[in-house]
Formats: sequence, structure tokens, C-alpha cells
Amino acid sequence: MFEKNTSERVRSEQTATGAARSERAAVSIRHLSKSFDGVEVLRDVDLEVREGDVVTILGSSGSGKSTLLRCINWLEQPDRGSIHIGGQRIGVNDAGRPMPVRELARVRARTGMVFQSFNLWPHLNVLHNVTEAPIHVLGKSKAEAEAHARELLEKVGMSAKADAYPGTLSGGQKQRVAIARALAMQPEVMLFDEPTSALDPELVGEVLAVIKDLSAEGYTMIVVTHEMAFSRAVSDKVVFLDKGLIIEQADPETFFTNPSTERVRKFLEREES
Amino acid sequence: MNASAWHMLMEGAWTTVWISGVSIVIGVTAGLMLALIRLARIPVVDQILVLYISLARATPLVTLALFIFLSAPTFGINLDRNVAGILALTLNTTAFNAEIWRSAFRNFSRDQREAAMAAGMTPWVTFRRIMLPQMMITSLPGLINEMSFLIKGSPAIAVIGIVDLTRVTNRISAVTYEPLPPILVACALYMAAIGCLVWLQRIAERRANRLAV
Amino acid sequence: MSNWEILWSARDQFWSGFFSTMEIFGLSISAAFAIGCGMLYLLEGSRPRLTVPLRVFIDGMRMLPFLILAYLLYYGLPAIDIRLDAWWSGVGALAVYHGCYFAEIFRGARLTFPPGQVEAAKAHGFTKGKMFFRLILPQIVMQTRPLLGNQLIYALKDTAFLVIITVRELTAAANSLSGTYFIPTEAFIVVIGFYWAVSVVMEIIVKQCGRFSAKRGFDNV
Repeated sequence: MFEKNTSERVRSEQTATGAARSERAAVSIRHLSKSFDGVEVLRDVDLEVREGDVVTILGSSGSGKSTLLRCINWLEQPDRGSIHIGGQRIGVNDAGRPMPVRELARVRARTGMVFQSFNLWPHLNVLHNVTEAPIHVLGKSKAEAEAHARELLEKVGMSAKADAYPGTLSGGQKQRVAIARALAMQPEVMLFDEPTSALDPELVGEVLAVIKDLSAEGYTMIVVTHEMAFSRAVSDKVVFLDKGLIIEQADPETFFTNPSTERVRKFLEREES
Repeated sequence: MNASAWHMLMEGAWTTVWISGVSIVIGVTAGLMLALIRLARIPVVDQILVLYISLARATPLVTLALFIFLSAPTFGINLDRNVAGILALTLNTTAFNAEIWRSAFRNFSRDQREAAMAAGMTPWVTFRRIMLPQMMITSLPGLINEMSFLIKGSPAIAVIGIVDLTRVTNRISAVTYEPLPPILVACALYMAAIGCLVWLQRIAERRANRLAV
Repeated sequence: MSNWEILWSARDQFWSGFFSTMEIFGLSISAAFAIGCGMLYLLEGSRPRLTVPLRVFIDGMRMLPFLILAYLLYYGLPAIDIRLDAWWSGVGALAVYHGCYFAEIFRGARLTFPPGQVEAAKAHGFTKGKMFFRLILPQIVMQTRPLLGNQLIYALKDTAFLVIITVRELTAAANSLSGTYFIPTEAFIVVIGFYWAVSVVMEIIVKQCGRFSAKRGFDNV
């Protein structure tokens, strides 16, 4: 009952702002549940992300927000429910069986993921980290992949370090390269798993600035984060998870100024102090 | 030592080098394959491999070489002694290499594998492009160390009549009646060869540490 | 008579080979252990002029195959009028060779030995020797036991090299039996079983020591 209301509110809000947004769902999640060792981490989660939307997922640690993100590209396999990316179901094929690895890899390639701990491949230099998957997954030519990679490195401000190895970069630089690496797959949706949580405070800004630029360019993004100001500035929709349940989803203005649940109000108070 | 003694010594050294070299190449590759098979955890096969590795680690090379060379004919196989020597060294070194490769697999970063999966790589592409290149770097120090051990064990093949760098010192002193000089020269040659490997191992360690950043 | 029955009837030869190998092994690793400890003590720095030659000697030994050292003792030493029989050459070579490996293992652990403990010992008025043998050495031996266990297996395997310099041990027994009765496969399977059993027992002992030291919390001081 309550969820329906909020989602309607979001929709009307957006038509009101008059933004020409597609109504096509980039990601749609239905009845998603997942437990680890008998502990329910996600409980019947429903979430719809439309093309071009930026959705930030908030919640205290252990609320299941990272698990939710990792289910979207099947790094975690949910127990129940379904996830569609651009209309295609991930993880389960038409016959209702687990997807063969090759097919799963193809669907995964439609998403790009940025990890909390960067996870760059240390044996490849920055340029080759970005071109590796386009060449060996998408089958692009080396020249084409490198040209595109250089554009992306320019975009994240890392073109000067194209020949450097990950081991020589700062955390902020690593994360910007990781963003370029994910973008290189020309994904339909970008997934960010606490992209600034492993960074020294003074390096957080440079990474958030890059993600902000991307949101302005119309990328579809789902961002798990602890950065409230950032969430408020970039989101089209803010989702709050608590103990595996979505207890609030709203446009950022409503969410941060007039949340409808006591739990979110407490959370915001604690974050402000 | 006269010219012919030097000549014999060099021939012995060459025998040690090529037999060890062939065994190293086969042993490193076969070790990788065994490690892969063990990761698959196929019942029975896995137990057999565990037993093989345990036996190979405990069996002296001399005993293994004699065993292979003497028992092959009773199965109707006529083994060339060089082949028997290579087989013995290979069976031994493969077991150790398999353990080195396997630990490189097990210690491979889960995060990096996830990044590869998230980028849409299939397990095979992940293995070939992301894991194997790094495993080669991280395993190399261990593999080179095992190569030193193989060369230090290689005189075992003398027991089946191969005239290697150690055995040849006997042949030379049988002619010159001076056993000490050829043995000392052989010592120096072994030290040079293994010294090189130790040096390479240090370089490999430095490269591996750089990767670990 | 089946081949196995022939072997059973010749069991005395296996036993004497086995005991000979164990005798050589036991004697030489005890000596090697003592040599390793002695070298570590000398490397403590009370005799600075010895340190460099000792390190060179240890590293040199580790770059040699064991057999060439046995050759040096057995065939080479008579040239300078030192004559050892095959058995003593073998035991001597094993002791020196593996003593150097023990020393290197200890040295590696000594480098990471907490200096605070040494200071505490000095503050309590320990002499250098007492401190070494009562405080440093026992901990280092305990800490390096997996490496020492490996080294014991290497030493056991190296005893088989002595068949080449005509020592009568376990592998020699198999060799002569297979020559007499033409049953090499069975003879060597038995002998490999012996080596394997001893290795497995040693591994178990090392693991038990590990459990003992874990129980006392040695590993997480």
C-alpha cells in the first residue's frame, strides 16, 4: 500500500519537472529475496530503474544494499524473484533453468560495475585494463578499443596515466580508471558499489565529481553510497533499505526533507551529526 | 686436467643441462594441468592425484630412477636410459609444481575474478587473460626454486648409467688418477648454474611483490 | 612361488636395508641439527670475523647437489690423505649438507625474532650463551617446524644417493634383490612404501608438534 503511493509520487514528480525521460525500464527487479546462512538479507524487493535515471541506494551497513547491487549482475544469486536488464532476464533462461555461463556473461556485459575496492587487474596497465574486456568480450579491434579507451580516460581525467600500472596509482585514481573500465563496455546501466568508501577523505571528491558528470550525461546508474550530499545532488530517486526491506523510495527532495518513516528520519539525523 | 678431461666434463655438464631442461619444461606444464584437474575435484581422480603427490614427494629420485629403468622391461617396454632419467625427474618435479600452481589458484584474488565476471568475461577468458598471466608471475619464484631442486637432484640419474656432470668426474679420475680437480670443477659449474637460478628467483620475487601492491 | 612370496622370504634383506637407512638418517640429521644450531650461534655476532665466511659456506652448500658433496668426501679427500669409508663419507656429507640448510632456516627466523625479548633477557641478566640456548633457539625451532619437517624429508630422500657411493642401505637392498630374482617392480614398490611410510610418520609428528604449540598459544604471541 505504502510503496505504491511513493512510487506514484515519484512518477508525478518527474512528469511535473517535464524531463523527457524514457518510460522503458533499464532494470526491473521483482520479488527479490536472498538469505545467507538462514539470515534474510533481501526480503521481497521490488525496484524499477528507468533509462537515464540515477538511483542511489542508502541504508546502514548490513541493510543488504550491496547484496542487492551484486544480485543485479548475478555476482550473488538470489533465492527468489527475477531481475530484468533492458528487458532480458539475467541468470535464468527462457526454459527457467540456470543460464549457461556464456549466456550469463553476455547479459552481464550489458551492465558495468564499479567496486568499492576498485579491483583493477594489476598485471595490466591503465589503458589495457580499460581495453581488456572490449577486446576479449565484445570482440572489438585493438585500435577501436584503444581509441575509445583514451576518450574515456580523458573523461575521467586519467589520460596522462594511460601507461601506468594500477600499483602506482592513488585510490582515487584507481577508482576513476575502474569507472572508465566499466564505461568501456558501453553498458546500459552502471552499478556503483560504495565507490568512495575505501578512499581517503581527501580523494572522495574527485571520484564523486566524475560520477556527477556521468549523471549529467544521461547514463543510467544505480549507486550504493554513504555520501548524503552526493545522493541528494545526483539522484532521480533515492531508495532506503533497512534489514533487507525497501522502506522508502522517493525523489531526493522529499526523501531528505520530508521522509515518511521514522527509521529514515533517525538515519538522516545521525548522518547529519 | 688435460684437454680431453675438460672435453668429457663439458659433455657431462651438457647432459645435465639438457636432461634437466627437458624435465623442467614438461614438469612445469604438467604441474599446471594437474593443478587444474585437482581444482575440478573429480572424485577418485582427485584421491589418486593426492596419493601421487604424496608418493612423489617422499620417493628419493635415485630409487624412482632405478624403479622406472629396471621395471619397464618386465612390462615389455624397452626404455632408453635418457628417457627413463627424464621420466624420473619429471614425475618428481611435477608433483611439487602442481602444489605451487594450486596454491597460486587458491590465493587468487576473488575481487579480481568478480571484476572480470562483471565485465562479462566467461570463465575461460577470465582464466586465460586475467588469472594465468598473474599466476605465472606469482608462481615464478616457487617454480624457479623447484628448478634449483631439480638440478640438485639430477645426479640421481647417474644410478642408471647416464654420465652426467657428477658421474663424469669418476670417468675422468679413472684416467687421470686425480679425482679432486674434476670434482671441484663440477662443484663450480653446479654453483654457477644454481647461482643463476637463485639470482633469477630474486628478480622474479621482486616482480611478484610489485604485482601484490 | 609368486614374486611377492619371493620378496617375503627375502624380508631380512629389506629390514637390514631399512635399519641401515634409518641409522644413517638418524645419526646424520642429529648431527645436522647440532651443526645448524652451532652455525646460528656463531652468526649471533660474538665472532664477527667468522660471520662472512660462514654465510658464504652456507650459501655455497645450498648451491651444490648433495651427491657431489658425497663424491668430494669419498673420492676427493683421499687426494689430501684423508680416508673415510663410504658409510662415514655418506653420514658426514649428509650432516654438513643438511646442517647448512638447517642453519639457513634458523637464520631466516632469527631475522624476525622480536628484539624486545632479547632486551628483556638482557635486563634479567642472562649471559649471551644462556639467552641463546634457553630463549632464542627453542622458540626458533618451534616456529620453523614446518620447514624443518620438509628438510627432514629431503634428508631422508638424500640418503638414497649413498647407494651410488656403494653404501648398503634401503635402495641398495632393492637393487640387489631385483638383480638376484629379476623382480624389480615388486622390490621397488616395497622400498618406496618404506620411504613413504617414514615421510608420513614424520609429517604427522610435525603436525602434532603444531597442535601442541597452538594449544600453548606460541603461534600468536
